[in-house]
Amino acid sequence: MSALTFELKHTPDQRLDLSPLVPARLDGLSRKEIEALAVNTTRTKLTVGEAFKIKGKDAENIRFEGTDERCDKIGAGLAGGAIVVEGDAGMLLGAKMKRGKIGVTGSTGVLTGASMAGGEIAVRRNVGDRAGAAAFGETMGMKGGFISIGGDAGALLGERLRRGLIMVGGTAGDYAGARMIAGTLLLKQGAGRYAGYGNRRGSLIFLEKPRNILPTYSDCGVMEFDYLRLLETWLRDQGLRIRFGARARRLMGDMAVLGKGEMLILA
Amino acid sequence: MPELKVKGVTIVETFAEAFPMVGTRVIITAPTLEWAMISARTMTGFATSVIACGAEAGIERTLSKKETPDGRPGVAVLLFTMDADKLQKQLRNRVGQCVLTSPGSACYAGLEGEKKLKLGASLRFFGDGWQMSKVIGGRRYWRIPVMGGEFVCEDKTGLTKKAVGGGNLLVLGKSHAAVLAACTRAVKAMSEMPDVITPFPGGIVRSGSKVGSQYKGQIASTNDAYCPGLKGAVKSALPLNIEAVLEIVIDGLTADAIHAAMHAGIHAIAKGGAREGVTHITAGNYGGNLGPHHFHLKEIVG
Repeated sequence: MSALTFELKHTPDQRLDLSPLVPARLDGLSRKEIEALAVNTTRTKLTVGEAFKIKGKDAENIRFEGTDERCDKIGAGLAGGAIVVEGDAGMLLGAKMKRGKIGVTGSTGVLTGASMAGGEIAVRRNVGDRAGAAAFGETMGMKGGFISIGGDAGALLGERLRRGLIMVGGTAGDYAGARMIAGTLLLKQGAGRYAGYGNRRGSLIFLEKPRNILPTYSDCGVMEFDYLRLLETWLRDQGLRIRFGARARRLMGDMAVLGKGEMLILA
Repeated sequence: MPELKVKGVTIVETFAEAFPMVGTRVIITAPTLEWAMISARTMTGFATSVIACGAEAGIERTLSKKETPDGRPGVAVLLFTMDADKLQKQLRNRVGQCVLTSPGSACYAGLEGEKKLKLGASLRFFGDGWQMSKVIGGRRYWRIPVMGGEFVCEDKTGLTKKAVGGGNLLVLGKSHAAVLAACTRAVKAMSEMPDVITPFPGGIVRSGSKVGSQYKGQIASTNDAYCPGLKGAVKSALPLNIEAVLEIVIDGLTADAIHAAMHAGIHAIAKGGAREGVTHITAGNYGGNLGPHHFHLKEIVG
């Protein structure tokens, strides 16, 4: 069975709320019923059928084609299945998702994977601000799962992160890992200013020496971490080509708060 | 009925009587295989019999760098006891005293299991507040700061209630050397089988026991029926020409694993044939009323 595919017909004149287009909601619906679902965010009604050309049947595998940065909430609350986005996506992609996989070939907007509890998001290009951070009305950011970002991340990456792993292939913006409760950020090409501001128990792993380190982080020197070996092995098992070894400089902080978090800077 | 023989070695028509146990597997890794082995050997030391050791444990096999969670050489260890509470206590004490203390070691779950046992979940307290929990791929690990760096230990490991203990083979022969050589071969063959261990020294017991004794408080005593030196004095199970009897005890995560290991063991023992000096392969049982698992040698050989 081929993937249930939604091809955007033309640039819509309003932002779209695509949160209904998840497997749990679409399973068992006929083509007509799917076409009748509303995706508008203004008072002007817009249905799936008006905005998208639909192909395929398999509701466990959903594809979006030609979407842009105004297509919000793709895969929000996802509880299983797979979503592939050929193109860009708007805000709240995969927000509060629990299980399943979302792959995006382009870039995504703000709050990507915000307060997600599990599953996997892979964005090939850039993400906006607050990826993996706390969604609207939530007290905690991402609570589990894995976000991998091929390009750059905006500011406040993983703000109030509770658990889970966010990997950034490019650079992260300011305040990466701000107010982290726990969890892990893996930053391949560093971050902007104030990384780890207010970090309680989280880990920020830098593959390159960061340019700015908060003065509230205290140096614990260099040693080998089996934890890094474990993480590297797991990432490689996921099919990622990454190698960072086990020797790292550890700085503990943020001493302005609990101070049990860390920066591991690969040596 | 014709006697069953393999290469001239008589397979006595009897069965090994075995008991249900609870078991678990942990994986120990270290910077080198040598150090993983040291840690594993220490952890499985003094674990021959639940009668006085609290647990039965052994090294199942070594693991290559590709088979371990952290990409370092490792060793898989099996641990068995009679109930889950005892297993939990033994696991905590043994990993805490023998793996945590071993240079460069890390300890991971080796079994999914229907229930879980605490591993790092209890050892983390050694970290005195400096321990860190990390979840990778849905599994929780503890990083406990120690003088050698960090001890990484998975939060929990699995437990199986389908484990079986006390599968056994008794090997009778015309010289001690012949029986020892045959048994050594059998233990080696069994060590390559999955899901089983032979907990006794080098896998072999030279002092099989019977239940009870003439002395008060002695719950087990020498199996006089199989002592070659008592052939004329007791109701012996041995022909007059037998000079030595050695036993191999097998614990496994499943009854099938023990069955397979006994099969490999019998054929390894009989490999030297009657000419080597091994005359009989038999097994120990208590009449069949005590243990629910009966491993009939005749079926196993086939």
